[in-house]
Parts: sequence; C-alpha cells; structure tokens
Amino acid sequence: MHLPVLKHTLNLLCSRFYRQKSSKFKASISAMRRAIIAISFFVLLSNAQVVAQELHDYNKVLIPILSKKCYPCHNTNKEKGGVNLENYAEKDRLISDGELWLKVVHQIKTREMPPKSEGPLSMHDYTTLVDGINSILETSLQEKNPGRVTIRRLSHNEYHYTILDLVGVDFDARSYFPSDGSGGGGFDNQGGALFFTPLKLERYYDAADSIVTILRNDESLWKKIVPVAYEQAWYERLINWIKSIFSNDYDEINSPGSAAEEVIIPFASKAYRRFLKENEKEKLVGLFKSVYAKKDSLSNPARFDESIAESIKTVLISPNFLYKVEEEPEKEGAYPLSHFEVANRLSYFLWSSMPDQELFNLAYTGRLHDTAVLEAQVRRMLADPKAKRFAETFSTQWLGINKLIDNQPIADPDKYPEFDMPLRLALYRETVEYFYYVLTNSKNMLELINSNYTFANNKVADYYGLEGVTDNEFKKVPLTDSSRGGVLGMGSVLATTSFPLRTSPVNRGKWVLEQLLGISPPPPPPVVAELTEDPKAHAELGLKKLLLKHRSDPACRSCHEKMDPLGLGLENFDPIGKWRDSYGKAPVDPSGVMQDGTKFQGPKELKLLLLKEKEKIARNFSTKLLSYALGRSTLFTDEPALKKLDACLLENNFNPELFLVELVKSYPFLMKLNDFEKKSTG
Amino acid sequence: MQKKWQISRRRMLKGMGACVALPFLEAMAFGGSGSSYRKPPVRNAFLYMPNGIHPDHWTPATMGREFEFTRQLLPLKDYRNDIQVLGELMNHRSIFKGADGHYAKSASLLTCQSITQTIGDNINSNGVSVDQIIANHVGDQTLFPSLEYGLDRITTGVDINVGFTRLYGSAISWKTPLQPMSKEIDPRLAFDRLFRTFIPGRQPKNDPYKQSILDAVMDDAKSLKNNLGRSDQDKLSEYLESIYSVEKRISNTQNLEKFASRITPDIKKELIRVNQNIDEYVEMYAGVDVTEKTRLMFDIMTLAFWSDASRVSTFMFGNSVSNRNFTFIDGVHGNHHSISHHMNKPETLEEYLRISAWHIEQYAYLIGRLKSIKEGDSTLLDNSMIMFMSDLRDGNRHAPQNLPIVLAGKGGGKLKTGQNIVFPKETNLANLYLTMLHAQDINVPQFADSNRTLSEILV
Repeated sequence: MHLPVLKHTLNLLCSRFYRQKSSKFKASISAMRRAIIAISFFVLLSNAQVVAQELHDYNKVLIPILSKKCYPCHNTNKEKGGVNLENYAEKDRLISDGELWLKVVHQIKTREMPPKSEGPLSMHDYTTLVDGINSILETSLQEKNPGRVTIRRLSHNEYHYTILDLVGVDFDARSYFPSDGSGGGGFDNQGGALFFTPLKLERYYDAADSIVTILRNDESLWKKIVPVAYEQAWYERLINWIKSIFSNDYDEINSPGSAAEEVIIPFASKAYRRFLKENEKEKLVGLFKSVYAKKDSLSNPARFDESIAESIKTVLISPNFLYKVEEEPEKEGAYPLSHFEVANRLSYFLWSSMPDQELFNLAYTGRLHDTAVLEAQVRRMLADPKAKRFAETFSTQWLGINKLIDNQPIADPDKYPEFDMPLRLALYRETVEYFYYVLTNSKNMLELINSNYTFANNKVADYYGLEGVTDNEFKKVPLTDSSRGGVLGMGSVLATTSFPLRTSPVNRGKWVLEQLLGISPPPPPPVVAELTEDPKAHAELGLKKLLLKHRSDPACRSCHEKMDPLGLGLENFDPIGKWRDSYGKAPVDPSGVMQDGTKFQGPKELKLLLLKEKEKIARNFSTKLLSYALGRSTLFTDEPALKKLDACLLENNFNPELFLVELVKSYPFLMKLNDFEKKSTG
Repeated sequence: MQKKWQISRRRMLKGMGACVALPFLEAMAFGGSGSSYRKPPVRNAFLYMPNGIHPDHWTPATMGREFEFTRQLLPLKDYRNDIQVLGELMNHRSIFKGADGHYAKSASLLTCQSITQTIGDNINSNGVSVDQIIANHVGDQTLFPSLEYGLDRITTGVDINVGFTRLYGSAISWKTPLQPMSKEIDPRLAFDRLFRTFIPGRQPKNDPYKQSILDAVMDDAKSLKNNLGRSDQDKLSEYLESIYSVEKRISNTQNLEKFASRITPDIKKELIRVNQNIDEYVEMYAGVDVTEKTRLMFDIMTLAFWSDASRVSTFMFGNSVSNRNFTFIDGVHGNHHSISHHMNKPETLEEYLRISAWHIEQYAYLIGRLKSIKEGDSTLLDNSMIMFMSDLRDGNRHAPQNLPIVLAGKGGGKLKTGQNIVFPKETNLANLYLTMLHAQDINVPQFADSNRTLSEILV
C-alpha cells in the first residue's frame, strides 16, 4: 500500500518533527488511561441507543486517509509519541478512547499534524478527517454520561468551615491534620486523593475531643445544641418513683433518654446533612443511655450534658460526618442525585461547608432539581458572605498561591527580608479579595487577567507604592498604571512563580499557559539544562540573554518559544513582585515576540494579547471550575457540558454568576452514574 | 540566626548527659544477661533524600574494608565500622514507558513496582513498600506498626508537564497500592502521639468512652459501605482499617503495659529533654534552616526505637523534586532541585555536593544517637538497619543506575558492617530489601522483582 520510498521519507521527516513534539502525546497517554473508565460506559450505553448521523464511514472513508497519512509514524511497530492509531481498527475503539481522538482532531485541525515538513493534507482529506472524526465523537456523546465521583472525605478546609457552621467553633484543621494531596484538577477536594489513615483517625478523634471541650466551656455555644438544661422537676421524680414501685418496666416521664433524643437527632441530622435512619437514631440514643448510666456520680444537668458530649464526639468522627456521602441506589444508567445530595454539592461548592437551613428546607421539599430554584439559590449563595470561602479555596489553589500561608520560606529571607509572613499573608489576602470582588461585584471574569484596580490594605499599598490606604482594611484601590491590574501583577502570583533568589521567566510563562490558558507545555527532554544560579551572571548578562542562549538549543526551542516570552514580559516584577527597571547593571527589557510573531512591550501589552485568547480562557475556567465543583478531573464525556459552559462565558461577557448557574444546572452536577464494577457483598 | 546557635549549644550541653553510656539497670529492657536475656528486636529506618548526589564524590574507590571516605560521605567517618556503602543497585521498575525523572522513581523506591501514570486522583503505586511489609509482620508487637516522618507537607497539584499527580512525590510508604501513609512533619505532634502520657503536665485526660465511640462509628462505616459502589467501598475501607488499627492499639492492654514498663528512668529523662527542645523549637520562627527540625525528628525516632514504640520508620528529607532553599549551608546559594541540574559546572557541583553532605551529616547524627544507647552488650544501632538513600544518582541526568545507598547497623548481628561493596552493574534494588527482610526472619519468598539475596552484606 505504501511506496517504500515515500514511507522512508515520511519516517525521516516525522522523526525530526517528533523530537520536538512527541512529548505532547505523552500527556495524552494518561488521558487515555482516564478514558478507559469511559470505555465501559460507552459499551453499556451504545446498546441502548442506535448511533447515527455520522458524516463519513470510518472504515471505508476515514481509515484509508489515516493509513496513508498517519499510520506511517503511528503504527504498532512504531508508536511515535506513544500513539498508535493503527490500533483503532473499529469505530467503537475510537469512541472508547475519545479523549485521545479529540486531541488527534485538534492536531489535524490546527495543522500541527501531519508535520509541516511533510506536506499538508489536501483540502479534501483535511475536511474529511476533521468532520468525520468530529461527527463520530459527537454522535457518541449524545447519550449523556454524568461520570462518577468517588466518595469524598471533607478536605481540611471544608472540615474547618463545617465545624464553624455546625457548632460555632473555629478549629484550625489545616495545621492540625496531616496534609492532603490533590488530584485531577489540582484541587484538594478530589476523592481519590483524600486518604484515611490511622494517624488521621487519631487526629479526627482528638479534634472532636477538643471541639467538644470548647463547647462544654462556652455556655452560649452549648446552649445552641442543648437549649434547655435538663433536669427532672421534683414532681416528675416523684411520679417516676411511684411508677417504679408498681412496675420494673415503666414509662419514665421526661426521661433523660427522650430528652437526649430531642438534642441528638437534630444535631446529628444537621451534621450528616440528611435525615437520620431509624437504626442511626437508636444507635446514638443507645450510646447516650449507656454513658448516662455510667456517669451516675454526676448530677443533672452536668450528667446529661457530659453524656451528650460523648454523643457529639461520636457524630463528629462518624464517616457520615467526615465524608460527603452519595448513596448508590441499584440503578442502571444515569440517575438524578437526591435533593439532599444536591444541597450538599451546592454548599460545598459555593461555601466550602454544609448546607444552611434554607437549602435543607428545599431539599426536604424536593425542589433542588428545579432550575429556577437552583438559579435563585446560586444568586443567594453568592450574595452570602460565605461565598468568600469559595473565593479563597478556589482561587488560591487554582493560582497555586496557597503556599504563601505555609510556614516554609519562598523568597530567600537574607536577600529579601521584607518578604516576611505578614506581607505574605497580606498578598494572599489581596488575591482573595480581588477574586471575591470579581465574583460578586464586577461580574466579569476577564478582569482576573486585566483591570485598572486592585485590593490593598496599608501593607500591600506600601509595598506596591499605592496612595490613599492608611489602615489594615482591604479596599478597592484604583491603579494609575494598569501594569499591576489582574492576577499577573499580584505579588502573590509573582513570588510563588519565582525561585527564592531570582525570577523564573520559564516558570512564569508556564504558569500563564497552564493556569490562565489551560495549555500544558510538554515536559522538558530527559536531559535538561537549567539556568545558572550565579547571581553575577544575571547582573551582567541579564536574564533575557541567558534565556536566549538556552533557547538556541533546538531540543528546547519549540516549547520555550511559547513560554519564555510570556515570562519575560513580566520581568519588571522581581522575585517578590516588586517593580524594577534593571537587574543591577543590565536594564530590564520587557519586550517580547509571541510565537506567532506578534510583538509586545511589558505587562500591559502582554495582558492585552492574552485577552485575545478568549476561547482558551473560557475553556480553562470551565474545566477548572467543573472539576472543582464535582471533585474529580473532567472527562471526555463532560465535553457537552463544557461546551455549554464555554458558550455561557463567551456570550455573557464572562459573567461569573450566569456561569455558575449554568454549572450547577449542568448534567454532571445534578446526575450520577453508578459504579460499573460489581458491588462486593457484605 | 544568632538564636538558632544558642539553642544548639544549649541543646548540645543538655544532650551530653544522654550521650554518655547509660547505666544499664532496666529490668524490662532488651538485652541483659542470664535468665533475663531477651533478644532485642530489629529496628528499621528508611531515610529518603530527593534529587540525587554528586556522582563523582560518593562511592569510595577502594572496595572492601579499607575504603576511604569521599567528600559526601565524610560526615560518617566516625562510624566506619557501623556502615556499609552499597553501589550499583538499581530500581528497574522505576523505568517504564511514560516514567518521568522524579515521581516514578521516588514513589516506587520502597515498593520496586512501576507506578500508574496519572494526573487524576486514581493514583496507584502497584505495590506495598518494604517498611509496610515489615510492619505487617512485626507491627502487632508494638504500639505503632510503623511511623512515617518527614520535613515537608505533601506537595499538592498535578505536574501536567510530566503527567503525574504530585502526591506521588510526597510518599514513599505505601500501606496498599492505593494508599500512601500520611506522614508527620511536626515534631510537637509526632512527639505527643507517642509520649505525651509520660510528660508531667501533658497527660491526656482520661477518656473511658473512646472504645464505645469507636465501636459506634465503625458500625456507621459498615452500614454505610453497603450502600455504596465498589470504589467508594474501597475508599471507606481505609476508614474501617484505621478504626481497627486504633482500636487494636488502645485495647491491647498487654502492649500498652509493656510499652509503659519500658519507659525507664533513662528514657524518661531523654523524653523530658526532647520535649523541652521541641517547646523551644516551636517558639522560634521556623526559618530556612531545617537542621534543628530534622534532628528533633530523629530524636523522636530514636526514642520510638529505644522504647520499642515501633520498629520501623520512614523519613523524607524532602518531597521528590524538592526545591528547598539550602542557603543556610556555607557556600550554597540556591535551591536543591535547581542545583541538582548542575550542567557539570564545577561551582554548581560544589554546591550540590555540600547539600548531600548536609544530608549525610544528619544521617550521622541519627546513627550517633542510636549508637549511644546500650542494649545489653550491644547498642540500639547494632540492632537496627538504618538506610539512607536517594532515588537518583546524578540529578542532572535523573540517572536511576547505581543509586546512592548507605546501610548502617548490624541488624541484630546479621549484617556485615564496615565495608564498601560494589555489586554487579544494575543489581536489583529489590534484592537488598529481600535480604533485609530475611535478616530479620521475615521469610517472604520474593520482593517485587528480586532475583537473589545479597549475601555480600550478611555476616
């Protein structure tokens, strides 16, 4: 089928190309693995629905083109970039690796594949392939699949806020519990990465113990749990005593058990964020009774309260409290979450905490699948001060600035003594306040990229050299020079993307690509050379020239051409985010050329160029926020939902409120699919 | 800066007391003579250093007993007869399609199995680490089956670049393929977990209902599990197993009594000293210099081994790819990972070397502490296997061959210390673990890809 000569030439050309590009496909290997989860769904679902509407027959039309233009480099014997397209002999296999094929289409569409050097596809082949593969993928997605979410333990943040809302105690969970990792979208609320170990259990136990101790020592907090101090009146005791004379099995009036029920059951159902089951009620009351019986050395109300305290402790370490439970009814295919489960998803998404009474009421009356109700709730929840928790939890993890609040050094303390803990906390706060404002006030998420204001208290204002802020309160401050407007001009981001002793334009460039545009540059080749750390070299050469040298290496160029200019445009900000015009001897040259040849000068122009990438920015927000809201990585099967979210942003001037409404109304947010694996019994 | 030195001096003076040979009078202690003789158990520690070493100044040129100390190993010079330098070991399964320079190597270091590549939360190490295998065999004889220590928080996020969840770089100890152990990084919390009961004024309050509470929540977990799907059930098993493990600990009165009886006056004196050092440490700003913190963690580990609170521990000097600021070392101007990509520049290599030498210095501190404690006619060190290792040789090349490994202690008389061994090229690292397991009578037929025992390290 192939002319040997042509094949040889192709191989040669391809191999040259792949030296630069192969790694791009490596990332898709992991995507493939993730997509394997989707396989089983598709196999299940394709039986239920007859798929049609494909533009071209895969075997008759598409495979011949693929085998001519793609297989020479991507076959079983030669998997360039780890990709073997020959493997997909049937359409079903293609569908099962949808995520990979989405990338294949993308590469063809942007004409990155086949490699330029090899000659482009003919117009006919180009449209046939792009439309053909696209239509196969789209048809396969008509059957909706909400994906599944692994049971999630409360993150330390969520634990902190849930305890605060439940009992009013401000417990520092983050420094007390062993830290968690994060998975998927890079957030700490992803089930698979939230482990439980004996050490954690011990800490949960001790935490519950100290929380209960605090409650017992704080009358007003305790009263919220036990509103009326328990005691039997003299006549009640008398009646009970008389009853006991006549029978061993009598109904005690105002018994401690029944009084405890009134306390424990409402408390536990709030804590478990749902109604209690009969056996759960019995268990908790039973535990109370046995403790109460043993505490006979105490007199009421202390005896009653001390026994209640043990029940509260139990509730606080129960898996029903520590995990966000979504039970799985025996159902095939997608099914809607229960109303209580929706209430939980909503409140942990927008408040990082448990639902409030209104959400509970709506769950109780079964109204949380009503889109009008959902819309109203999102608006209400965003207007609630608790939305600031979402602003903080999401933005600091998304931007990667949460390490500012850890006790570990970022900038070198000898070289940058002013970058101390109070300043770090202030810069962290600036970003949170800013994000919160965009979310609730400005209502345009593009202002995260560029604006002419920021938020500052006196510390931040001094640091940036802003006028008019005299106290410790954060307030909105207009910027005369818009270089700083948006996250790219914030000390928090600039410092955390730098090394302790110098800036890293590469890190910053990579950060812009990954966090703002959602593009991941391929990994560096195995043998990489990093820049010299010699401070003298920097002062004399200037970082830009050093990087130019670095980029002269062909193995590095292809990616660094994308990353470096983005980072170099921010070189006016030093490793702790202060403005500078020179490195010492050499002046800072913040000019750059994007890969497509567009020139720019400094952060202001760089931001304007970035703002042109609206579609990428929209997709990035959609992916990050959906992943955060669901507690799992986004999958190929989320594509329809993501497309709607993208459109919502693009059509509504990046309005966060409309976007979040769209998100909570989305199919994966409200629905669930059962685990396809067989349940183990018992 | 000044303050740190003050602490160290004070601490040194105080420490002197514990360093001199201790009078041996404890009846319940290990060793002893005649009828009261009880063979001391073998203790194990696995110390992990990220980012590799300077490849030219590690392995001594002379094989066998008369080896010379290279610059990076120099801090160990007082312990020539207590250590073995092991060359040419390689973790073969850290290399696989899609493997990156770091995560694939650190996460598999103690399991010798290839990890699953993912940027999702479906992490899988595909193996159980050697420390956990030891814990599974001897853990029920001590209060804590194993202890996991380190200096840094888990690194969060995903490295989209290389396609791995960063969590992989933060754990070397795997209880199951799906479950990394949580590590303690706070000396105060680590100390209190083990020894709070023995410090005057720090005793936890009496908690008679703990057992019933744990029973109740275990019941919750069991009934909850029935209503969940398969992978949720797996997740909840972690919870259940944690409850089992804690229940077992608090209900095993025999172990508790044994442990309490082993807190001899000498141990108690040391407990009070370390407790006070932790207090002082916590009061200071935890700056760049982590020497003090490292040593406190090692003090706690020593106490845990001494009192037989546990027989196996891991310690991570840093997470994989750690970019710790090491400017607190003379002549070092940058960060660990950056420096490890030294591009063969002499001045960067010099910094790289000094950083590994600092790690070895801390290792030497631990060895010294263990050696200062007598157990009968031997020392605590003699009854231990204390391993120091990195998952790379030359960080510049992410080289997985010829891993830098030092093993200290005689493992209860089984190990042949005082030698520099270079194994045949690319000898399986798993063989070392298999040999260490066999040396303490854990006779598993195989460990991961092991293909022989290393008789060279045995007496």
